[in-house]
Amino acid sequence: MHEIKTGFGDILKRQLELAERNYELLADRGVRAINVMGAIGSGKTVLILQLAQRLQAKGVRVGAIAGDVAGDDDFKRFQTAGLPSAVINTGDDCHLDAHRVGHALKEFPLSAVDVLFIENVGNLVCPADFPLGTEQDLVVISVTEGDDMVRKHPKMFAQTDVVAINKIDLAEIVGVDPQKIVEDYRKVNPHGRAVLTDARSGRGVEELLAVLGL
Amino acid sequence: MHEYSLAHSLLEGLLEHLSAHPVEGRIVKVHVRQGELLILSQEALKEAWRILTEGTPVAGSELEIEQVPVEVRCPGCGYQGDARYLAEEGWHQAIPILACPECGAQVEIVAGRDLAIDALTVEGPSGPPAGQD
Repeated sequence: MHEIKTGFGDILKRQLELAERNYELLADRGVRAINVMGAIGSGKTVLILQLAQRLQAKGVRVGAIAGDVAGDDDFKRFQTAGLPSAVINTGDDCHLDAHRVGHALKEFPLSAVDVLFIENVGNLVCPADFPLGTEQDLVVISVTEGDDMVRKHPKMFAQTDVVAINKIDLAEIVGVDPQKIVEDYRKVNPHGRAVLTDARSGRGVEELLAVLGL
Repeated sequence: MHEYSLAHSLLEGLLEHLSAHPVEGRIVKVHVRQGELLILSQEALKEAWRILTEGTPVAGSELEIEQVPVEVRCPGCGYQGDARYLAEEGWHQAIPILACPECGAQVEIVAGRDLAIDALTVEGPSGPPAGQD
């Protein structure tokens, strides 16, 4: 038995290179993109629609890309809201990647938008390992997922700079103290910013816009 | 379950490498370096490898995964090195904190998000000596 050094390179570097290409394309077209991640049912779509509505009221042009394993339900929601939009169906993958997003960006009317929300596949874990080339990442969790979300996924939150803790209107009903989530998050990410939101009513959405610098 | 797509990328990379640098003998182990910040299950990655390699020249090989720690660089004070870890009761693993251990500023990640095949263990009489490319 013997050992052979391979050193043919890091497979995630390729992902990083593709993400950088997306980043440059978006910067070149003057588009600020946000990668919105979070579990199924955390409220990503509704939150994006609320953020979009407020931005539009300020004269900012907003677009959205819906990433889903299958179906065009979220895409239709964006269409109904009048947003330039696209859908990426991953087929069997549990996350978007820079390659797929790169293709979607080529087809997207980038000159018609200033801000682009890219809604990742509903999945709290996997998307974190695949940078898309967006300016910022936003993770949406809901209080209905429990107050131990950060403890269950510490590495994810250690690497996430903006977190929306959504559905806080339901906190009392499900017996969750949102402050506990915020405290855990501060421990793993001293520079992170957490915002309490209730996307349905719009509570906290202005503050989230400010944190995102939009 | 992104372990399958990562295993697939590792396999593609390895097969490409092997077609350019053929190996005499049977590959029994594939040594993988995994950055600590990646959120993946080593067991799932190994299982995906077992399934995806069936029918390929590396069928029957096993992944040997070594987790490497995070390295950070501080744009504020210039610190470069290990990250600080949160190790408190109630947290089930040591969590690398992406703030400077010296001055507390937000840091850049130098290493800790890598996934690479560093080496192969080959069984067979006619292979080249260890270390040769």
